[in-house]
Amino acid sequence: MTDTTDPTDGDAERERVSVPSKVELPRLLDFYELQTEDQTQIHEFYDNLRDGRLTTTQCCDCDEIHFPPRIVCPECTGDDLEYVDLPDEGELFAFSEVRDGLPLGLSEHDVPYVVAVVDLGPVRLSGWIDNAAYSDLEIGDAVSLKIVEIDGPTDEERVFYRFEPADGDAK
Amino acid sequence: MRDAYLVGAGQSDYGAFPEESYRSLFRTAFEAATESVPNGIDGEEIDEAFVGHLGVGGRQLGLSGPAVTEHVGLGGVPCTRVENACAASGFAVRQAVQAVKSGMADVVLAGGFEVMSDTSSDATKYWLGVSGETEWERLSGTTFSGVYAQMASVHMERYGTTREQLSRVAVKNHANGAKNPHAQLGFECSLEDAESAPVVADPLNLYHCCPTSDGAACALIVSEDVVEKYTSDPIRIAGVGAGSDNVGLFQRDTYTGVPASQRAGEQAYEMAGVEPDDLDFAEVHDCFAIAELLAYEDLGFCERGEAGDLIESGETELGGGLPVNTSGGLKSKGHPIGATGAGQIVEAFKQLSGKAGDRQVENPTRGLTHNVGGSGGAAVVHVFEKVQEVSA
Repeated sequence: MTDTTDPTDGDAERERVSVPSKVELPRLLDFYELQTEDQTQIHEFYDNLRDGRLTTTQCCDCDEIHFPPRIVCPECTGDDLEYVDLPDEGELFAFSEVRDGLPLGLSEHDVPYVVAVVDLGPVRLSGWIDNAAYSDLEIGDAVSLKIVEIDGPTDEERVFYRFEPADGDAK
Repeated sequence: MRDAYLVGAGQSDYGAFPEESYRSLFRTAFEAATESVPNGIDGEEIDEAFVGHLGVGGRQLGLSGPAVTEHVGLGGVPCTRVENACAASGFAVRQAVQAVKSGMADVVLAGGFEVMSDTSSDATKYWLGVSGETEWERLSGTTFSGVYAQMASVHMERYGTTREQLSRVAVKNHANGAKNPHAQLGFECSLEDAESAPVVADPLNLYHCCPTSDGAACALIVSEDVVEKYTSDPIRIAGVGAGSDNVGLFQRDTYTGVPASQRAGEQAYEMAGVEPDDLDFAEVHDCFAIAELLAYEDLGFCERGEAGDLIESGETELGGGLPVNTSGGLKSKGHPIGATGAGQIVEAFKQLSGKAGDRQVENPTRGLTHNVGGSGGAAVVHVFEKVQEVSA
């Protein structure tokens, strides 16, 4: 078919359209959770941590201790839970030193760093181990709690737990 | 319940393919699968489809299953996407077997796909990380390789497993992958190469980790009522087993095994009425070298703690008593997350059809596939068996 107005005519001025030059990342990509009461039902865990106490939930019905803290007991499905203190010291149960393979949210200047599963007795949990190198560590080594404050990307004051070798001087 | 049979399977090449899309990769795999059916198959004979896919790079498309089946001319056929991280398409095959055994369908397509090369490396690793315990494991800085590295640390401490034994997994799987034209890293590597590679997460180095990949794979599962139409050399899906577990490693009781794999293996052996000794080959989930060693123990190829000795003995090499990962495994063949489980079944099909080329196991009658999601949050095992006559 012939038509007098050819849309592919090179002489015609084409309309320009644009897309945003920056796309805001979803909240999901923020490395840490928002920690306040209006953002999480386990805010008490973070409130306690801010006060220097590592705590978790224990079921008032079946006595099961959980980690991470829960809002429903996975053992008995009861929802009457209370926050209890966890020990400040534990033992390395498994560990690795991360050198590469970093996901979004971590940056090259962080490596190398040691990650571990720490056995606190009542529970085991994953933890970043500061001031440590793979070659100096053995399974069973004592580590002690350390609480860090988190800068950015929100204005909210946030904290998180880490560990470091207990050695003799930590006591 | 009636029996289910594997009558065809095929895959795309695995690798990095900027010119391909998830749909074009799936089409390549689908065509390879339909062409592999001895007596041929028409797309119109397919009753249902299950497609595995994780959604790396933010490709969390709703309806990505129907999007690929429509592309290969199966528009209108019921299609369900199955997501179980790296075990997505192993579970898609399990769904297909269930559909056939239940009598709901006679001919079912099970496949999977993933495109991982079109986003940055750290973004890809973010999407791998979402298959771990996203909140409490990742908050501690634990990477995906870091999770398996921690399992390795415990296995080494408890059983004396060595880095050299981990490296031998890479040497073996690369030797096999070099014989597989679909392999992404289809080259041989020496023990020295595999021992001197840069460390990713102690004690795991680069050669102890599989690559990220683009790719697709498909399998065709049919009922005993129609199998004779498609082949005179049927491969029966003799056993199926599956399990799940806490997604976070720190929540598990044992680090020297993957309980979900063990459960899946036991179920599959029981259903098939066989033991590990009855297998002629196995494709196991070797996303990291330690994962292959754990699989040897979880699936009963050796006693707990003896996987290091087993790899060193050469028993799991081509020509050994139980060749493992003749395809090259995830390590050399590649690991396009959603395609991996179906891709293992492509190898089982080729081996049992005598079409595995230079890596052919001598006259096998029975093989196993083992596919794990995350660090063991889900696992699925299939046992395939060549039969002389269909028990219809």
